[in-house]
Amino acid sequence: MSIEVDHISYTYMAHTSLENKALEDVSFRVDKGEFVALIGHTGSGKSTLAEHLNGLLHPDEGCVRVDGVDLKGKDRAAKEARGKVGMVFQYPEHQLFAETIYEDIAFGPRNQGKSPEEVDAAVRSAMAFVDLDYDVFASRSPFQLSGGQMRRVAIAGVVAMEPDYLIMDEPSAGLDPVSRDNIFSQLMKIFHKRQMGVILITHSMEEAAQYADRLLVMSGGKLHLDGPARDIFTHDRETLEKLSMDVPESVKLADELRQQGLSLKGTPLTEAELIRAIERAKGWKAC
Amino acid sequence: MEPIIEARHLSHTYVDGQNQEMTALKDINLSIMPGEFIAIIGTNGSGKSTLARHFNALLTPTEGKCLVGGLDTSVEANLWPVRQTVGMVFQNPDNQIVAAIVEEDVAFGLENIGVPGPEIRPRVEAALETVGMTAYAKHAPHRLSGGQKQRIAIAGVLALEPKCIVFDEPTAMLDPKGRKDIVETVLKLNKEKQITIIYITHKMEEAILADRIIAMNQGHIEMEGTPKEVFTQVDRIRKLGLECPLAAEVANALQKGGHKLPPILTHEELCQALCPSK
Ligand SMILES: Nc1ncnc2c1ncn2[C@@H]1O[C@H](COP(=O)(O)OP(=O)(O)OP(=O)(O)O)[C@@H](O)[C@H]1O
Ligand SMILES: Nc1ncnc2c1ncn2[C@@H]1O[C@H](COP(=O)(O)OP(=O)(O)OP(=O)(O)O)[C@@H](O)[C@H]1O
Ligand SMILES: [Mg+2]
Ligand SMILES: [Mg+2]
Repeated sequence: MSIEVDHISYTYMAHTSLENKALEDVSFRVDKGEFVALIGHTGSGKSTLAEHLNGLLHPDEGCVRVDGVDLKGKDRAAKEARGKVGMVFQYPEHQLFAETIYEDIAFGPRNQGKSPEEVDAAVRSAMAFVDLDYDVFASRSPFQLSGGQMRRVAIAGVVAMEPDYLIMDEPSAGLDPVSRDNIFSQLMKIFHKRQMGVILITHSMEEAAQYADRLLVMSGGKLHLDGPARDIFTHDRETLEKLSMDVPESVKLADELRQQGLSLKGTPLTEAELIRAIERAKGWKAC
Repeated sequence: MEPIIEARHLSHTYVDGQNQEMTALKDINLSIMPGEFIAIIGTNGSGKSTLARHFNALLTPTEGKCLVGGLDTSVEANLWPVRQTVGMVFQNPDNQIVAAIVEEDVAFGLENIGVPGPEIRPRVEAALETVGMTAYAKHAPHRLSGGQKQRIAIAGVLALEPKCIVFDEPTAMLDPKGRKDIVETVLKLNKEKQITIIYITHKMEEAILADRIIAMNQGHIEMEGTPKEVFTQVDRIRKLGLECPLAAEVANALQKGGHKLPPILTHEELCQALCPSK
């Protein structure tokens, strides 16, 4: 059970003066139960790639298969396969459309043929998932919200559909720190419970390091690196910097501490790991 | 010195399509002095963007007053001088670009306000120079990186020669390199051109660069002070739904583990506290 990206290329506005090769021979596979972060400089092709994964765009060359089914088909199997992939778009305002937040989130589950009671339950739990108070927000318009509130409605709408594969295009841009942490911890819960395949597109190295086991690094429409997040953040710092990427803040702080003489071990990918590494280096405790 | 921006008992209540009222700002009192660099932090919906939009009269108070360079933003005749004084840069670089060539994009605002032709070129060149994009004057904006596009957007605002620029999460859509470029540009505008900066962000590593931090909560100002004053109160910041920069968070956790440390904000300070030999 997986999303397979098989040698795909894609060009915007081919044969015009604005021709733009956005993807070039990209291949990888993400299995159900995997949590992958996709990073890369602005304009590297991440969103273009994401839109191929739910069949919104089709490759000029190569193909994308979900659970073995080519998304390009016009038959029922292809439609079903596309339906297994939920997508949180980079710009939430492009995703929202209904008059109230309730109706916006209810749209997906209703389309899946759920009963009114099931739809209602799905909306309520999705709103709780993203920390939006039902009584305050359900009847409000999704267009008269703060940036971060709008982002949360867009995430709720996709979560309510319980997709097998979840693609999130910069879901935390504009979220405040605590909502971001809460939403990710909820996400990790359903990820473990339902064994979804998750692809997280992000410009935050901290997020990629904290949540993903595997990292895909794009640059100029090509896939440059594909491997365990810890390996890449340990060994490929120079390459990352050359590609406008970086290592997480905790890795930088650890390096500075080492330069000042603290004998700190390993590559601490998160704040918690850094704290433990400092305690161990200082001999304070290591529980 | 007179404040460049002043909010006096400023409140703002939105009325939505169904006539529901939503009070986004309550009795805000605030003075911002020329040349200051202010960071505004706060949870989603706490009122940051609503407040910022008052500073260039995109919104006007439903109660109280907002003064820019001493001018009341509610008075129709003050609209242009207010917008001339305060420029805005938003989150999404793509939505702020209008023309097909970089220098035309930067000139757009100048033409709009009727700046005479011969004056336009030098102002465009100076603005591109300041953001370090001179080499891209003839390029097509859609081919640039996000950080470069955002710098073009800043140049467009700079060309209007504002005394103050409000940035509403300018790095939220940018990669690490683009983020660094924008932060450097903002610091340069403040330190070298003495432009007053109001900088909204969810990234605390950016907020600590400001002279003063304002933390909003549910439509009012909850905390105010230097980065050190604000971010060494880790528990209070957490209660507001925010976080502190990494070094402060780490120091706080080590303290809680029973190890005495001085107040810490930056990487250097943590290094000094943990490696005193050097
Ligand atoms: N609709 C479009 N028409 C033409 N070119 C496009 C279109 N959408 C994207 N592009 C171009 O394709 C390339 C890849 O863009 P894409 O949006 O996939 O990048 P990204 O990695 O998602 O960037 P960001 O981090 O800024 O979101 C860029 O050069 C972009 O300008
Ligand atoms: N056009 C609008 N109509 C009605 N209410 C609005 C409108 N815009 C914002 N609000 C409400 O006003 C409050 C403050 O919103 P504002 O956009 O100022 O928040 P913010 O601090 O900028 O949040 P974020 O971090 O998410 O950008 C929110 O509760 C929001 O729902
Ligand atoms: Mg994108
Ligand atoms: Mg806002």
